[in-house]
Amino acid sequence: GPLSVHASIASGLYFQQVQTVKGKVISEQDKQPVPGAAVQIKGTSKGTVTNENGEFTIQANTGDILMISSIGFTAQEIAVAAGKSYDVTLAFSNTSLDEVVVTGYSAQRVKDLTGAVAVVNVNQMKQQPVASPVESLQGKATGVQIISDGAPGATPQIRIRGFSTINNNDPLFVIDGVPYEGKLSWLDQNDIETMQVLKDASSASIYGARANNGVVIITTRQGVKGPPKINLSSYFGTQVPNKNAFPKMMNPQQYAEYVYEAFRNSGQTPGQEGTTGNNYGTGATPTLPEYLVAGKVTGQKVTAADADPSRYNYSRASETFYQITKANKQGTNWFDEISQTAPIRNVQLGVNGGGDNATYAIGAGYLGQKGTIRHTGYNRYNGRANTRFSAFNNHFRFGENMQYSYEEFVGVGVNPNVSGDYQGEGSALGFAYRIPVIIPVYDIMGNFAGSRGDKLGNAQNPLALLYRAKDNVQKRNFFFGNVFGEVDLVKGLVAKTSFGLRYENYSGISLTYPNLEFSEGSAANGMSENQGFNTEWTWTNTLTYKWEVANVHSLTVLAGTEAFRSRNRFLSAGRNDYFLLGQTDYYYLPAGASNINNTSSGGVGSLFSIFGRADYSFRDRYLVSLTVRRDGSSNFSKNSRYGTFPAGSIAWRLSEEDFLKGNKFITDLKLRAGYGITGNQRIPAFQYIDRYESLIANAFYPFNGKSVTGGVWQKAYKNENVKWEELKSFNIGLDFTLLDGEFDGAIDWYSRKTTDMLYPVPMPAASIGMGGAPFVNIGDMKNTGIELGLGYHYGQRENKPFKLDVNVNISRNVNQVVSLAPSVKEQVYGTFRSLQTTILRPGEPFGSFYGYKWDGVYTSADDLAKSPKYSGARVGGPKYIDVTGDGQITPADRTIIGNPHPDFLYSFGINAKYKSWDLAMFFNGSQGNDLYEATRYFTDFSTFDGTASVRMLDRWSPSNPNSRTHTPNRKASDYELASSGYYVQDGSYFRMKNLQIGYNFKVDNWFKGNMRTLRAYVGASNLFTLTKYTGLDPEVSQTNSTFSALGVDFGVYPVSRQFLIGFSAGF
Amino acid sequence: CATVLGSCGADFLERNPQGELSQDQIKSARGVEGMLTGAYGLVNGNVSGTWGNYSSAPSQWLFGEVGADNAHKGSNNGDQPNMNQVELHDVSPTNDNTEIMWNRYYEGIARCNNTLRLLKLVQAGATDKLSDARAKEVEAEARFLRAHYYFFLRRTFSKLPYVDETMAPEDALKVTNEGEVYPKIEADFKFAMDNLPVTMADPGRANKTAAQAYLGKVYLYQKKYDDALPLFTTVIGARPDITTLPFDDNFNVVKENGPESIFAAQHAINPDGSGDNANVGDMLGGFYGTAPVSCCGFFQPTFDLVNSFRVTAAGLPMLDGSYRTNPYLSDFGLTGAAKDNYQVNKSLAFDPRLDYTVGRRGVPYRDWGIMPGDAWIRDPAYAGPFVAVKHMVDASARGTETVAGANYVTSLNVNIIRLADVYLMAAEIYVEKNNLAAALALVNKVRARAANLPGRTVGGTPAAAYNVKPYLAFTSQDMARNAVRFERRLELALEGHRFYDLVRWGIAKQTIESYSGFEGDILSAFENITFDTKDETFPIPQQQIDRSQGALKQTH
Repeated sequence: GPLSVHASIASGLYFQQVQTVKGKVISEQDKQPVPGAAVQIKGTSKGTVTNENGEFTIQANTGDILMISSIGFTAQEIAVAAGKSYDVTLAFSNTSLDEVVVTGYSAQRVKDLTGAVAVVNVNQMKQQPVASPVESLQGKATGVQIISDGAPGATPQIRIRGFSTINNNDPLFVIDGVPYEGKLSWLDQNDIETMQVLKDASSASIYGARANNGVVIITTRQGVKGPPKINLSSYFGTQVPNKNAFPKMMNPQQYAEYVYEAFRNSGQTPGQEGTTGNNYGTGATPTLPEYLVAGKVTGQKVTAADADPSRYNYSRASETFYQITKANKQGTNWFDEISQTAPIRNVQLGVNGGGDNATYAIGAGYLGQKGTIRHTGYNRYNGRANTRFSAFNNHFRFGENMQYSYEEFVGVGVNPNVSGDYQGEGSALGFAYRIPVIIPVYDIMGNFAGSRGDKLGNAQNPLALLYRAKDNVQKRNFFFGNVFGEVDLVKGLVAKTSFGLRYENYSGISLTYPNLEFSEGSAANGMSENQGFNTEWTWTNTLTYKWEVANVHSLTVLAGTEAFRSRNRFLSAGRNDYFLLGQTDYYYLPAGASNINNTSSGGVGSLFSIFGRADYSFRDRYLVSLTVRRDGSSNFSKNSRYGTFPAGSIAWRLSEEDFLKGNKFITDLKLRAGYGITGNQRIPAFQYIDRYESLIANAFYPFNGKSVTGGVWQKAYKNENVKWEELKSFNIGLDFTLLDGEFDGAIDWYSRKTTDMLYPVPMPAASIGMGGAPFVNIGDMKNTGIELGLGYHYGQRENKPFKLDVNVNISRNVNQVVSLAPSVKEQVYGTFRSLQTTILRPGEPFGSFYGYKWDGVYTSADDLAKSPKYSGARVGGPKYIDVTGDGQITPADRTIIGNPHPDFLYSFGINAKYKSWDLAMFFNGSQGNDLYEATRYFTDFSTFDGTASVRMLDRWSPSNPNSRTHTPNRKASDYELASSGYYVQDGSYFRMKNLQIGYNFKVDNWFKGNMRTLRAYVGASNLFTLTKYTGLDPEVSQTNSTFSALGVDFGVYPVSRQFLIGFSAGF
Repeated sequence: CATVLGSCGADFLERNPQGELSQDQIKSARGVEGMLTGAYGLVNGNVSGTWGNYSSAPSQWLFGEVGADNAHKGSNNGDQPNMNQVELHDVSPTNDNTEIMWNRYYEGIARCNNTLRLLKLVQAGATDKLSDARAKEVEAEARFLRAHYYFFLRRTFSKLPYVDETMAPEDALKVTNEGEVYPKIEADFKFAMDNLPVTMADPGRANKTAAQAYLGKVYLYQKKYDDALPLFTTVIGARPDITTLPFDDNFNVVKENGPESIFAAQHAINPDGSGDNANVGDMLGGFYGTAPVSCCGFFQPTFDLVNSFRVTAAGLPMLDGSYRTNPYLSDFGLTGAAKDNYQVNKSLAFDPRLDYTVGRRGVPYRDWGIMPGDAWIRDPAYAGPFVAVKHMVDASARGTETVAGANYVTSLNVNIIRLADVYLMAAEIYVEKNNLAAALALVNKVRARAANLPGRTVGGTPAAAYNVKPYLAFTSQDMARNAVRFERRLELALEGHRFYDLVRWGIAKQTIESYSGFEGDILSAFENITFDTKDETFPIPQQQIDRSQGALKQTH
């Protein structure tokens, strides 16, 4: 400020005298020395840093101003007086403005950022016990939507600023400078030091063609100079399934009556063998049977002789299989049966330290998580070693970051490569929605019971399915890391090279057992196994030049190249007919006698890029950043192989202007604007050429009816002109820090428009048969949004006994498919049995739900006669709205019936500290999104023998005339079974995501003073959820087909409540 | 990359597809033959895998038989409900069975067109070409197959977009389904007929006789009797007299491609034991329960079909419909001891073809032993007590001719045209031309051959009073027409002809509704079936209409 300037002039005139100034910097809070703090003489480039004891020595003139700063502390200035030694006490900073974060190929101070970059509070993130760091990112950054998945080791769905394309919307991760696409379960979140989310094109476009969906930059924990610091932490917890959310099914008697009514409604007579079968007797009202099956006899036909236990034979062969199963008249709660309270445990040990020329951070950890769905689980063992060296007087710096992890995914449904992949009617959860409740879990001898019997449908016993898959373990070895070297060529010019490698191999086995208790069961037993690898290398070279005129100009220019290559290969084989069952030691392929099969596949790809970046700031006041990247991809033909992705952004730090300088209220205020272009090339390879295939399965023919002759077919049709998908994005934002850091926050508004969207426009069979249609660049998509992040910080700087941080995030994104191909009016997809759940239609959000609008039921013959109807309409049957107004219901009346995108996402976190106690609470929510509960197909419609939701107890009848719920019908028209508003519900939720209470022990005198810290804590996750959604969990990942169907619930693996106890100790 | 900061060598970004071929790699004589083989690959209605190709089965069991009065979908009511709509003649444009039929056969057409395009390209080149003679044959084979695929689609959907090898995919997109495709089908079969030899090296390939028979059939569907008859006559003359050919060789996996076979879908088990090239279209017809071939229990003969095999004392069919009087029900509806102790009534008079077409309780089923009744059936109360025979293989062949662990997938060929079909088509024409004697002669040959069938025996005695005799005379054109049509039903039952025959005869509505009256009295699920004129074809799949960007118009 003016005062210090004045002092400086004064000192210059009267007392100028060079002297050696010594001092020590300590932290106000813990009175510990602050190593590595910068000590600079103001207005010059002269400076030094403190040593490990926090001490410094510098030659300065009397009257010089020393600026002492260190990350995480508020900077201080002291005036040099003659012959003094200085003890400088730095207070913790309330602001993160001086924090240096890694963005695209460079590091910047937070206050110099010009793009929309969310800096994640990693410490808050780590409070949540999760396998994948992506999951704990939920709610920690505005504009980032995470949909969690309860399966152990599963990959949550992550979307940054909505959906930028109808294709893959997963962001790019950059870990220690190495790009990575894929699931992140292998990375222990405790190894993460910083995490930044680059949300707009101006910040992300330096990653060019892979940046359309945003970039998540992660750096892992680095060594800090000093003696070895050892950290040990561990937690143990229990995960409790949320039984209140389990779907409630009718009991067997209610269900039987429901089935009776279904037959009556279809003009048939229940109580006959041809209709309701053997289970419920022959009367006008159903009675429940004692037995479901005894050998070949079913239901009420089972006699005492049939049920004689001596005849029981749970054999491997269908000829001799004789099962005796009693009816469970109370009804089996299948969701209860397949779920359990399950443990989770984690332990990690790390050490870091180093000297002037070498630092290290190494660590190892274990995470073990059993699933709340039985016989599923996840284990991870990981180790990391990051080292840094410097040589030649610190002009040459080199080192490595390496991570190895070994993971085990146990049981069914825990290893989806893409979030939501395991959902479906064939999963254990899917079967729990389908299996009759009258079936007990076990038969009279304790073996699995099933749907074998009369009219018990074709669901599998979900517990049997889970149990038999308990030895299905998928194992993965994952290596990820890089080596790098950095050299100062001339003053200000640094050359850096980094070679990053991902090597992953995986293997797994999958067993099948005879399942003769199942109505469509088989005596087959088998084992199949698979192995494969993924290799990727990324070689990055950069030259960085920094030019600075202290406090006036600061310019950083960077140029670089990056080459990337990937290869993967997969091998699998299987056989049936093993002599022994269930003996994992015996299961090797040659021991199987039949159904010999094997296959392999692979892929290759490469990218080459050149890029440049320039960041300029004038007096810390006006900031400009320009980037450009030119990417070449093996995914495109020579003609359109390269794409260029420029971006620019400017920022104005108003708080540095004279009219705001010294303002007590505004500490920092920055206005940002940026525009840029990013690309997307993430489509299946080789779209630009016609591809043919000679496969036995697809193109061979047995000309003599005995043995096959080789043939060829065209499996994929080309589009020579396929090229980059582009996203143009504009962002304007305001960052503010108020009252010396007591309040801070940011507001961003953005508009993102995707053009030339890569779209595999499905072609009619008349054009390409069943071959693959190529991706074409067609169609536009738009996202606009606003994001608000606010923080309140109390007591940090003053080091008050009570400290409080409150963070609130709100973001809104509006998605719209602007246009598809000129020729494509719309596209219906998401086919599931007779449902087609979703539509792509210009003017509507991506993934909009599609079907008939529900209008209750036809309540009388008169209503039926007067109302628009479809072929097969009936009294008590679903009534739809005649959208076209033509007086009848036809497929043309299908319309948009829901929007899976939330109106807004919000979260808030509270972190409080009082003396030795700390408390963290975190809440998040999603408001205004619809969900499509596809499982109602099984539970609310009576096509299948199976089960029925208690919702159907409130079905319409003349005595329940106000009900809008349809009645069952065994001969339902397929209009009744079509997609409709009946499936769509409000999916908003508010969830207490995390609660943690910790205590920091005073350990000064423990272990002879060798212990630094000890914190113990208890915590809970997902403690409560407020939602009206009737499915298992309102967090519904997309399901994947050609296009993702968002928010369609086929039976998600629900997230569970977790209760934890843990500690972390430092030595 | 060789350099740190410059551009990479161009080949760094030039990758090759993995496990796939580019056009350059197939531009050869061998490539053309491969593409032609691929074009044959769709004759079994399947690209790959086994499940899910039911409506496209070369046997056409779903549209051709379940859609008529011969067969029920089977299994239980809730299984594959969209097939119920086929049986009940209430098919909507979104019924997946129409989509499956449509896109499998258009894939076949695409493969024919791709073969013809590649052939032209290769033959225009300098080296690695086919001989001119073989090139002609390849063209003829590809066009025969294209005509076959179009014909199957034509009779199912009526209005089709016609795409040939001159149209690139982006042009094919715009083709409407307004024109009539029969002339194009005729042209392809004519070309095949003119350019193929009577005998090809492989029995499964199209040959001149097959083209003649098929072209005749296409003419017959259009009532072009004068064009069709000489073709049928030629085919009949080219083959041995049918009375010398055993009826059941047509359905015996070890006697395939015999002299009666004119064009058949060839099926085989793959060398690795998998079933993609086997008879996947009929697999749901594997029986349920304890049957040696255990699958899903679809495709069950109707009471109406079974009773139509009843004969008068003169050994003739009951043309007046009296076979529905006091029908034979097997053990259906019996309970308790009566059910348990059921014995087949051996005194009932049946055409012997019954027990080579239908499996019924108490009668030996192929070489499997006595058919036990409900134990092989999923839901007899829903779809009756019978199982089908012609799509199944002998137990003795199961080890080598079925997929291990999935023995409902067999290598049994499926007849698309066989000699008896040609005899009876020719007989139809003679009736229409009022040459009743010629019609009588042909029908009686078919019946004489049936009379050669050994009846099934139980405990050394025949399971029925088998009796099949020639007609003494056709007393009128109407009677002759009725007799030929009835014979066609009996001889070709469950082979996929019935629905299409009823439609081209113009009697689908009356036959199916009358059948529903009879069958529905026994099995309530089939009461009150109504049949509209539009039900004579199936709707164009909605998805194809959606994808065609306005080129395709719905026919329903």
